[in-house]
Parts: sequence; structure tokens; C-alpha cells
Amino acid sequence: MKTPLRPLVLAAVASLLAVGCGPTPPAAFRLNMVEAVAPSAEKDSVAAELALSIDQQRQVATILAALFGSPDEPFCQPEMGLDPAKLRLAAGPVRSDIVGRKNGLYREHCVHCHGITGDGLGPTAAFLNPYPRDYRPGIFKFKSTERSDKPTHADLVKILHNGVPGSSMPSFALLSPAEVDALAEYVKYLSIRGETELALMRTFFELDDDAQGKLAETREFLIDEIVAPIAEKWTAASEAVIEVPEMPADEDLAASIEKGRALFHGNKANCVKCHGVTALGDGQANDYDDWNKDIVKIRDKLAKLAAGEADAAERRWAAGFQEVLVSEALRPRTIPPRNLRHGIYRGGRRPLDLYYRIHAGINGAPMPAAKGTVASEDIWHIVNYIRSLPYDFDGELGADRAVAVRPGPAVGLAATQED
Amino acid sequence: MADVCFRNGLWAVVVAMATCVGCGSGRVIGPAPDLVAAAKLREVVGAASEAAGGAQEAASTGSGWGSLKGRFVFGGTPGERQVLVVDKDMEVCGKAGMKLFDQSLRVDASSKGLADVVVFVRKSTRVKNPVPAEPLRFDQKSCEFLSPVFAARVGQPVDVRNSDPIGHNTNISGSSFNQLIPAGEGTVYLPTGETGMPISVTCNIHPWMKAYAVFRKDGYAAVSATDGSFEIADLPAGEPLEFQVWHARAASGLKLDRPELKWSAKGRFQTTIEADESKDLGTLEVPASALGG
Repeated sequence: MKTPLRPLVLAAVASLLAVGCGPTPPAAFRLNMVEAVAPSAEKDSVAAELALSIDQQRQVATILAALFGSPDEPFCQPEMGLDPAKLRLAAGPVRSDIVGRKNGLYREHCVHCHGITGDGLGPTAAFLNPYPRDYRPGIFKFKSTERSDKPTHADLVKILHNGVPGSSMPSFALLSPAEVDALAEYVKYLSIRGETELALMRTFFELDDDAQGKLAETREFLIDEIVAPIAEKWTAASEAVIEVPEMPADEDLAASIEKGRALFHGNKANCVKCHGVTALGDGQANDYDDWNKDIVKIRDKLAKLAAGEADAAERRWAAGFQEVLVSEALRPRTIPPRNLRHGIYRGGRRPLDLYYRIHAGINGAPMPAAKGTVASEDIWHIVNYIRSLPYDFDGELGADRAVAVRPGPAVGLAATQED
Repeated sequence: MADVCFRNGLWAVVVAMATCVGCGSGRVIGPAPDLVAAAKLREVVGAASEAAGGAQEAASTGSGWGSLKGRFVFGGTPGERQVLVVDKDMEVCGKAGMKLFDQSLRVDASSKGLADVVVFVRKSTRVKNPVPAEPLRFDQKSCEFLSPVFAARVGQPVDVRNSDPIGHNTNISGSSFNQLIPAGEGTVYLPTGETGMPISVTCNIHPWMKAYAVFRKDGYAAVSATDGSFEIADLPAGEPLEFQVWHARAASGLKLDRPELKWSAKGRFQTTIEADESKDLGTLEVPASALGG
């Protein structure tokens, strides 16, 4: 039996192959469209009149091209404190240079998740949980510096080398140190570029009326006022590493764990509020990180607008915004507090890493800093308690009891079997 | 037979996939940069600065000091205040059936005074007083921030307190300040940078808690009191000043119909204060429509 459909299908495929998709355009950075439509640090107060016009968007794109070049030809100003040679190694299409050294490392290893612009919107991003980091706001979670400071170069290298356990971020330990170094530099470049873009877009509202809605294209404004303060934070990071006092050495470990347990559950450190009584991360579970929270706020704002009496301009803005959100933002997800029974810590499991997390909190996440209100030796006690948690399970989760002092081996197991 | 069917099916899948994948990403793309202009701009930016010495700064043209005051009143009937959803630490936050209300529109019932309007100078040329060393108290009690909107000067310590018997955290957006504030304790926040419009202050443990803060280098900022009145003292006299006006319900600028003050769509007005003058803008009526109906 012959099917009449087959030649038709063949013809369709053939014509598609013949027409093809045209030559691939050179890789281009994408404009931050969510910010262009809602340029404000406070996303629940965005409004139609703040949105950037097409001309303003084009001005931002042009300024960024002048300051940072393109994905194939990155450029940096001396004030950015970046090494152009490292950027060249990481940027551009994957290729070998004249000495056979591989170039285009970012596009080989990173782009499919983090996106060509470093916006965390690569093609695989939507399928990952947690979503890949969007570098553009310049916020990084796992670092050795204070909450408001940038990570050091060594912090970025460490993340690249170790990966982020419990997430899709793999280890790049098989790359040479020079390659990892180049990638860390490129992440900084994308981040400085993204923060510059945010700052430029948010400046339009601040303009005086006589500026006629156009940013000044002068060195004083672009470099001194916008780029330099952003870049200085990065160069200052190496000076901002948290000073960690020695773990109290004369302390009995069991006693320290017990103190940590009291702090964890007590009113001072208050860990229990989010991480839960059982430390399973089941306390406050309906909060968002900063990246997702912005999208939630915008979504709520648009819903409010749709419910109220919006004028024509507002409705047009809202409709355009919906389109931008569909294509330029991932579906917001809540951020569960870490389940401390797993023994998997995104920023590293060394006692020192846990100390950093508790001392400075996690920037971009709801986790607050204990610095200032919880003494450093108390932070060490909490670290010890947390480190004991994965080994504490004996079938009585949630029982409010001491964990360190066990009369003998396998007591927990015996207890559950008897039950 | 079966083989033919299978192959036809396969072709259909291939065509469907090709159609689905398509040729473009279908994403909303902003305008492309103007590469010729970008190349020129790169030269401009790369050139060594000739006009060194803060050419952007407005020059001082006057002398002496004056003050500005006024009173915001709400020109409408405020609706019932929304009861907030409180579902944590009920022994403190919902003690004895206590209810917490939305703080974003506070109108004094008798005087119609509109509280929590922020007025600040956009650019100033001179500052009279040094940065106060005395900390500004920012407290929370019964799971509410006691100052729903507050202004501090950059460099002025903010004493973040917690007068509740339970722990809070205070998260100042955009500043990377997010610290645990244990029961009955406090910590100091030192604002390091100027905010444009006020920024939000929240508690992640109790998500209904919300306040706003504005930090200005010159300290020329005021928040209207319960009766709607505000006053900014020691302003540079004899030169035009531009003020920005903000309210939580008009977060992109509070617009008023006051042409004599050149009140703009961005919620800014202009005025010049003479030396030793205490300028009174009188009653500034804010229509309900300016605060989202």
C-alpha cells in the first residue's frame, strides 16, 4: 500500500533544508529588557512612565558596545581592572589560536546555562533547579567576603574548580588553572557589564528635564560616575575577606555542639525560623531570592494593574511587559532554606565555608547575616552543631534533644527497631 | 506495511520538530547598538579627561540659609485599611487578637493629614550641618516597623533595634544589609550610598513587615508626620532648588497640580528660598487618584 502523504512530506523537508535558516549572525549581547521596561530598584513600584523609549534603549546598547565591545570582541576600560588577555581567551567562538591553545572557553563550557550575556538565560536554564546565576545584578552568593562585598577572584576560581554541590553547576577541575582563571575574569567582565547596564537604565529617571531624556556621553559621566564605582567594588574585594577567629580549640566538641543547638533553636540566632525545628529546611519556605522576587513583584504589579482601571498607555505597557516576561524571565520559584540533614552545602562544606555563610548571610537570598549580633565563638558553635546534623538521624526527627552525647554505638538504630 | 507506516511517522516527527525549533529564538530583543556611534564614543571615553574637577557639580550662587515647610492632606476618603495576613509567631504578632494593618496609606482621621510623604532635594550646592553622629533609631515592635518611612543622612548611624521578644531580620534592599536582630537587641547600619527614590526595608521571617528608607548625602530630606506636616531646615538660600516628592503609593513620583511650583510629571517641584526665609507651601492637597485611587 502506498501512502500519498510521503512525497509531500519529503518535499517539505527538502524545501526546509534548501531554504535553511540563513547565515548565523555574529553573537550579540542582549539588552536587559525586563529592566528596560521597568527600570527601578524597587520592582513593586514600576510604572508605565518609567519605561525606556526605543531611543533610550538604543543609547544604552550603544554605550555598552562602546565600553564593553561584543561577545566576539570584548573590550575593557583600564578603570575596570580586567585583564584583556584573559578575556580574549574566554570570549569568542570556540577555536584554537596560533599556538594551539583553546579559545572561546565561555562558549564551550558556560553559555548553554548562563547565556551569552551572563543573564542566566541560556537554552538549558529553564530545565535546571536552581536556575543558573544571572551575573548582571552583580550579586554572588558563595564568597569569603562580607555580604555587601563582591567575591574575590579566588572565590570565583573556587566555585569553578569545585562546582556548586546540590546544583547543576559542575566542577571544572579538569581545565587548566589558566583556563579557570580566564573564565573567572570573564564572569567579572559580564557582571560589571550587567551592573553598568542596570545603572544606566535606572539613571534615565534621575535626569534633569533639560537633558531631554538622553544620558551624557562623556567620560566624566560614563566612567567616573557609572563604571568606576562598580569596578572599584571588585578590586576592593580582596581587601574585604572576613577575618575568622580560630575555632575555640579548648572547647569540648560535644559541649560546643550543644551550645550550637541552643543557639540554632533560640531567639538569638533564630536559625529554626527558616531551617525548621528538624533542620530539614521546612521552616519559612515561601520566600524568594532577589532574582526571582523581582519577577514576582512585577507579576503582582501587572495583575493589580489588570484588575484596576488602567489607562490606555498603562495597558499597552502591561501588554508589552507580559511579552517580555514570557521570553526574558524564568518562571519564579521559591527558595527553600537548606536542608541541613543532607550534609550538602552549595558554597562548600569546610567549617570555614559554613562560618562565612552564617557570619555574612547569603547575599541575594533571604539568609541574614549573624555578624554583629552573634559573637564569633557562637558562630563556631552553630557551625559545629550544623556539622553534626547529617549524622544525627535516628528515626526521631524533631525530637528536641541533645545530639552529641550518645551512650554507645547503634543506640539510635536499636531504638527504632524496638519501636 | 508496518515499516512504511513507521517511516511515515518518523518523517512527520522530523518535520514537526523542524517546525517547532524554527530558525529564531522568538525572544524579545531590544534595539541593536549603533556601532559607528559606539566606535566614536569609545574614543571619547578613552581620551584623558580635560575638564577635571567636577564640572558636573552645580555651582553655588547664593548665600545664607532658609527652610521649607508644608502640609500634605489627603483629598479623599481613605478606604478601610487592609488587614495583613499574619501567620507566624502568633504569641507576639497576633497577641490577644491583635490585628496588623497595611501601612502604605496613613491618613489622620481628624486633620486629613497624609503621613509618610518623602520630600528631598535632588541636588544641593552647600550643606550647613555636619553629619549627625547621633544614631537614628529604627525599631520594630509587635511585628511592625515603628517608622514605616524614614530618612537618614549618608554616614549617619542607624540603630536598628528589635523591641520584640522574638527574633527578626532587617533586610534593606539594594544595600546588601540583611542582618539578624535578636530579641531585645540591635545593631548599627551605616548608610554608605545615596538612594534615589526610597528603598524598601523588609523582614524575611515575617514577610508582611515593610518599611521604606531614604538616605541622602546632604540630609535635605523630610518625611511628613502624622498630621501631614514636613519641614526641611538649613537649606541653601538664594538659588533654585529642585525637590523630589514620593509616597509609597506614588513610587515613581507624587504628582500634584501646582503649576506655580513647576510641579512635574516626575513628582518634582522647584522653588528658591531667600536667606533666613521660612517658606511655607501651605496645604498641599493630594487627590486620591494620585495615590492609585
